[in-house]
Amino acid sequence: MTSKYQVKLSRRESLKWVGALSASTLIPNSVSALTIAAEKNTGKGHWPKLTLSPINAKGYGKDPNLLIPPKSPWPKTLTAEQLTLVAVLADIIVPREGTVPSGSEVGVPDVVDEWVSAPYTRQQHDRLTILSALTWIDDEAQLRFEQSFVNLTEQKRLQIIDDIAFEREDNDNAFMRIIPAFARFRSLVLAAFYSSPAGMKDIGYMGNVPIMGDYPGPTEEAMTHLAQVVKQLGLSL
Amino acid sequence: MKDKKHPVIVVGSGAGGAMAAYVLTQAGHRVLMLEAGRDYDPKTETPMFKTNGEAPLMGAGNVDKDFGFYDATVDGGWSVPGEPYTTGEGSDFLWWRARMLGGRTNHWGRYSLRFSEHDFKGKSRDGLGADWPIEYSDLAPWYDKTEYLVGVCGTNTGLDDMPDSSDGVLQPPPKPRVPELLIAAAAKKLGIPTAPMHRAVLTRAKDDRQACFYATPCGRGCSIGAAFQTTTSLIPMAKATGNLEVVTDAMVKNVTVDQHGKVTGVCYVDKKTKTETCLTANVVILAASACESARIMLNSKSKHHPSGLANSSGQLGRNIMDSTGTGLGAYIPALAGRPRYNEDGHTANHLFIPWWGHKAQEKGELDFPRGYHFEIGSGFGQPGSGVSSGLQGYGKALKQQVRDKYGSSVYLSLRGEMLPNEHCYMEIDDNVKDKWGIPVAKFHWKWSKHELNQVAHGLKTAKEILETMGATFDYPLPSAEKAILKGGQIIHEVGATRMGDSPKDSVTNQWGQTWDCDNLFVMDAGVFASNPHKNCTLTIMTLAMRNATWLSEQMNKGAL
Ligand SMILES: Cc1cc2nc3c(=O)[nH]c(=O)nc-3n(C[C@H](O)[C@H](O)[C@H](O)COP(=O)(O)OP(=O)(O)OC[C@H]3O[C@@H](n4cnc5c(N)ncnc54)[C@H](O)[C@@H]3O)c2cc1C
Ligand code: SF4
Repeated sequence: MTSKYQVKLSRRESLKWVGALSASTLIPNSVSALTIAAEKNTGKGHWPKLTLSPINAKGYGKDPNLLIPPKSPWPKTLTAEQLTLVAVLADIIVPREGTVPSGSEVGVPDVVDEWVSAPYTRQQHDRLTILSALTWIDDEAQLRFEQSFVNLTEQKRLQIIDDIAFEREDNDNAFMRIIPAFARFRSLVLAAFYSSPAGMKDIGYMGNVPIMGDYPGPTEEAMTHLAQVVKQLGLSL
Repeated sequence: MKDKKHPVIVVGSGAGGAMAAYVLTQAGHRVLMLEAGRDYDPKTETPMFKTNGEAPLMGAGNVDKDFGFYDATVDGGWSVPGEPYTTGEGSDFLWWRARMLGGRTNHWGRYSLRFSEHDFKGKSRDGLGADWPIEYSDLAPWYDKTEYLVGVCGTNTGLDDMPDSSDGVLQPPPKPRVPELLIAAAAKKLGIPTAPMHRAVLTRAKDDRQACFYATPCGRGCSIGAAFQTTTSLIPMAKATGNLEVVTDAMVKNVTVDQHGKVTGVCYVDKKTKTETCLTANVVILAASACESARIMLNSKSKHHPSGLANSSGQLGRNIMDSTGTGLGAYIPALAGRPRYNEDGHTANHLFIPWWGHKAQEKGELDFPRGYHFEIGSGFGQPGSGVSSGLQGYGKALKQQVRDKYGSSVYLSLRGEMLPNEHCYMEIDDNVKDKWGIPVAKFHWKWSKHELNQVAHGLKTAKEILETMGATFDYPLPSAEKAILKGGQIIHEVGATRMGDSPKDSVTNQWGQTWDCDNLFVMDAGVFASNPHKNCTLTIMTLAMRNATWLSEQMNKGAL
């Protein structure tokens, strides 16, 4: 469970990221000063103040090769520890179900790493949010249980996640910042999972296959369902 | 190439330029086409079946690729490196440019709706804007020819906003999908019609282009030629005549004139060698896109044309219009967890909502002139970076939420007619040059109450339709000022060189021929006298076909 996350070359292989190979050897530029501005053990209201060195790498440009995407347009930046933490979280968010693989199994951490390392505005914005969330989660684990998050038992991990994974009226003030940050992380994990082949299958995407002849339109089952919906809403086709 | 005089030079290889070149070369005239962008071949460059998951950032858009990694736009978008434009104080304007062979036809939405008689004569009806110097009947046969050549699928609906095509012109449209049918049912209850969208997509093979196989987003380009782009149709067909020569990476700076003010040719910068070349021609056709053609003309000042070429009317750069744009979407609980099937279709609207309010407008029941339509966003699309947000929790329960929500939201995008106004125009910024040394365009923009009232009406209607489908809104609608998209953002800019029946208030006559220079033509959307809500490109091509045919006759007669 706490074993180190192995970068999934298969998932991102087509991108030929050099960064993927060297992710764990890159100098961690994310967490320079971990500040826990809170009382020990209560874990109340802390938020890490990260000083992130700016990412100056180039984007893939206005005319990248679309068939063979560009070679390592920007280096990846997550440390081995961060990747492992992302893997553990990805598997909490998207656990394996039967034959459907989990988040880490389809390489979600690599996609998250690529995302937070990209030089574009939206990704740089997400980078601060997501790295802060990752740091917060580890800080919280230290404060509550004096261990890093990945070394916690499943049950203790979920105690923390249960506090931050739901937006409720009565959320504790202490979680005001982590809840939206975790939500952003969660949507990124979901996107990375559902855009993988296993994820597309799980969500039920059936397109991207050529059809000879006319487009067949909805199936009988889909039309029967529509007919019910239309009736319930008091409409007619 | 340098020494000889070219019979015709066409600037730009997009919708207008390629159609002009096609018509002229078919008629036996030799044409030289100058295109600022690089050579581009959809047959070998289109990432048709690639999945979002294979793209950097799951295909998400950014400054390099605004509409996502796989979007066909090359070297362009909202920004073009080294080619800025500026805006006047308080003006928001976005200028989309593609710098590639085929221009924006490589990645446009291919919605292709005819303008109607109503659309050509707006001023006669409500006193606003300008009438076109032509009637619908002047264009109808040319619409038939263009639709047939380009390949448009759709049906004749008999609706007053959608003129019929002649028999045998349109290709059959694909069957509608579930969310579209539900929207149709809701709209029907409100007395609002829906209709198959007309799209420049083949559902039957044609020439050497194949029929659509109902997969792969058309915005990436279509290497089988089913979705219309000039690079897989008009340009190869024109080349096959042996009469077309294309020079890419040729950025035209200005049009040259002789001592009498008559057009003699053009000068361009070869982007590869960064050297300037001037060519001579009998006839010059500008089709570099509405604002780019106007920019070239404004940059072509001379003794005879002190305020820009063919600008004796003072209308050059004026009367710019875009479509109005806004939209409203909602989660439809009744669609949650619905049965899966392949919903790709031709990857854009199978049904849409055409404008239905002419009668109400005639009776004075609406507080805005001119119409709008709704395009529908829905379906089991290929998951990408935006597949699921706004969810709660984790684990199996979360995954169930994702599956339930998938394909259960719909979005109505409004595209409406804008009226020209004195605050919307472009000029040359005397202080800024692009990297080719060409002075850049400066845009001025302001929406009027006509557009704002229209958008407010559209939002209210969209909400009614969505509520009729069972959506709930726990937030108030945004104000029209907030909801309306920026000028240029719908990428239907038209009007900068408008046509009319008098040299006093227009730049060209009905043939796209400038009043001031009989051998200078404009064959892009610059000539539009108004901008009906129906996306402009079918009409750009239809006018280019008609006007290039007329030009060819003039040349044959020796009149030009
Ligand atoms: C994402 C998107 C969706 C769209 N959807 C639709 C739709 O559904 N329906 C619709 O009707 N319209 C749609 N449009 C708009 C449509 O693409 C344009 O109206 C149409 O392509 C304009 O044709 P054009 O020939 O004037 O210009 P373009 O197609 O832009 O071609 C102009 C060409 O001229 C070249 N050029 C520019 N300046 C110079 C110069 N100085 N020298 C030499 N060459 C030059 C450019 O590089 C370009 O290749 C859409 C546009 C976009 C971007
Ligand atoms: S959906 Fe059809 S028309 Fe569009 S790109 Fe795919 S094959 Fe071409």
